[in-house]
Amino acid sequence: MSPGIQLRWTLSRDMLPESDEQQLMYVLLEAAPQGLPTSLPKLPLNLCLVIDRSSSMRGDRLMQVKDAAQRIVDQMSSDDYFALITFNDRADVVIPAQRVKNKPELKRMIGNVEAMGGTEMATGMALALQETQRAMLRRGVSRIVVLTDGRTYGDEGRCVEIARRAQGRGVGVTALGIGDEWNEDLLETIAARENSRAHYITSSQEITQVFGDELKRMYSIFAQDVQLQVEMRPGSLIRSLDRVRPFIAPVTIAEERELTWLSKLGDWPGSDVQAFLLELIVPALNTGDHPLLRMNLRYDLPGANLHNQNSEAVLRIAIRPLESVTYEVDATVKHWLERLVAYRLQAGAWQDVESGRIEEATRRLQMAGTRLFEAGEVDLARTVQDEATRLLRSGNTTSEGRKRIKYGTRGLMGKGDMSKEREA
Amino acid sequence: MQMCPHCNAQQLDGTIFCTDCGGSLLVIGARKETTASLGQHLSEVDLPTQPTVIAAPEPPQQATGGYIIRLVVLNSGRRMELDAGEELLIGRKDNAKGIFPDVDLGLDGGYDAGVSRRHAVITLQNGTCTLQDLDSANGTFINDQQIPPRVSTPIRHGDELKFGTLLLRIELE
Repeated sequence: MSPGIQLRWTLSRDMLPESDEQQLMYVLLEAAPQGLPTSLPKLPLNLCLVIDRSSSMRGDRLMQVKDAAQRIVDQMSSDDYFALITFNDRADVVIPAQRVKNKPELKRMIGNVEAMGGTEMATGMALALQETQRAMLRRGVSRIVVLTDGRTYGDEGRCVEIARRAQGRGVGVTALGIGDEWNEDLLETIAARENSRAHYITSSQEITQVFGDELKRMYSIFAQDVQLQVEMRPGSLIRSLDRVRPFIAPVTIAEERELTWLSKLGDWPGSDVQAFLLELIVPALNTGDHPLLRMNLRYDLPGANLHNQNSEAVLRIAIRPLESVTYEVDATVKHWLERLVAYRLQAGAWQDVESGRIEEATRRLQMAGTRLFEAGEVDLARTVQDEATRLLRSGNTTSEGRKRIKYGTRGLMGKGDMSKEREA
Repeated sequence: MQMCPHCNAQQLDGTIFCTDCGGSLLVIGARKETTASLGQHLSEVDLPTQPTVIAAPEPPQQATGGYIIRLVVLNSGRRMELDAGEELLIGRKDNAKGIFPDVDLGLDGGYDAGVSRRHAVITLQNGTCTLQDLDSANGTFINDQQIPPRVSTPIRHGDELKFGTLLLRIELE
């Protein structure tokens, strides 16, 4: 079998009743790598770590970060590039972008980093982008990994602008927040593009694990420049597209030209099954079997030197007379939808809190809790309930509770969740 | 189009969860117990119509001085107005065991919050309201202080009562 990506789709309902109105249909789209050689030729990695060394990182946090960074260097190979930037009130290039050849020397330089001063992230990111572009790679994976435990002051806009420039040049940004002081809006905004993500680290003991996972993901990238193109039947519309696996995140999809929608999905690690949930408005249709849309996934497989590959799937829908249609919903589709709805509800709740609509926010959080209970996420549901209760009583939420909920609903927290994800 | 039973928003046919309030639009059939709490997080307006509260036996109007006990479930916002009888049993309904509490917290996620079937009882006597824990598995708390089981402890207007981890506020009029 030639290597590629296999597309599989599941509809929320096998058939829809004949109707003279529009109907809503949910499509779970799963994409799994197929025919990959067992030992994937790994793509050269161009990694720049950006470490917050403000005084609040002093002690265990910075020690764990340095330890984790040294382990990363240990795992990298000699055709990879590594760079290290640190920032506090200013930014320093500790290790300029270079091939990972003299590991003891690189590790010694990491070991010398000390904590002091304030937090100014933008300069650090600017230097990181500069170092990333110094590496000479014709093909490969370029990433900036930023780790902070604090809020940066006054340069948020610049941080985002630099991140966009990086992402525009194919350099992904992973934003890692540790503790509960950091500005999650900023980190999430930074990561809201392809090849990027934000992650919440609750304790310093997790740092090594998270760094290790990130490195593994980068090394397992097998497809790049992945794009989903959807050709629609006249009268139908895409209401939303969200990634649900490996973690929940809205995905931008836009009508590129009449009835043809396009979404950029970035690089794909081979370790992940990717799944998306599509909300689709189906036009009024008569009894019969109708093609509804054609999905075309385009991608490069740089490891196999294959470019402009594509996988196609045509999605058909059965329309039957009303009396012969049962209202049964596919359990897998419902499960992911339930988690997605919980994620959306909590996101809406924080907006309500910002605008002072406490009751509305409480109701949304409550409902998010119900959805999570139903989806079997009992611990997280309880956290949401507690936060809702606190909000109703005091009009406030805790910063830690909010982060746990935000990242928990997306499936971006804790090792337990990640490993479950892989087994599933 | 269909209407969301929770928030009355118009939704397209085929919608599974309301786009406005996130409530389920699926018809609830014979399901497991926890789904019974589905759709209980309603706005206050719809709630009094829910016949979840069995009127306390023989409410002696004069003896209680016309007291009204109001319980507010803080996580769902559900409010219950109860004519103060002699005793109000708080717990979770269990048809099989024949337990029908006056205040059924099974509808507010009581199972997950650790509410026992027979959890506690509120008594109103001579104008004094007391709460007694019935050896519940997860305890009863007044303003975050656990009360000893089988002992009547007075409660006042505005106190926060916790059954297991489920929080309610009591209002007396």
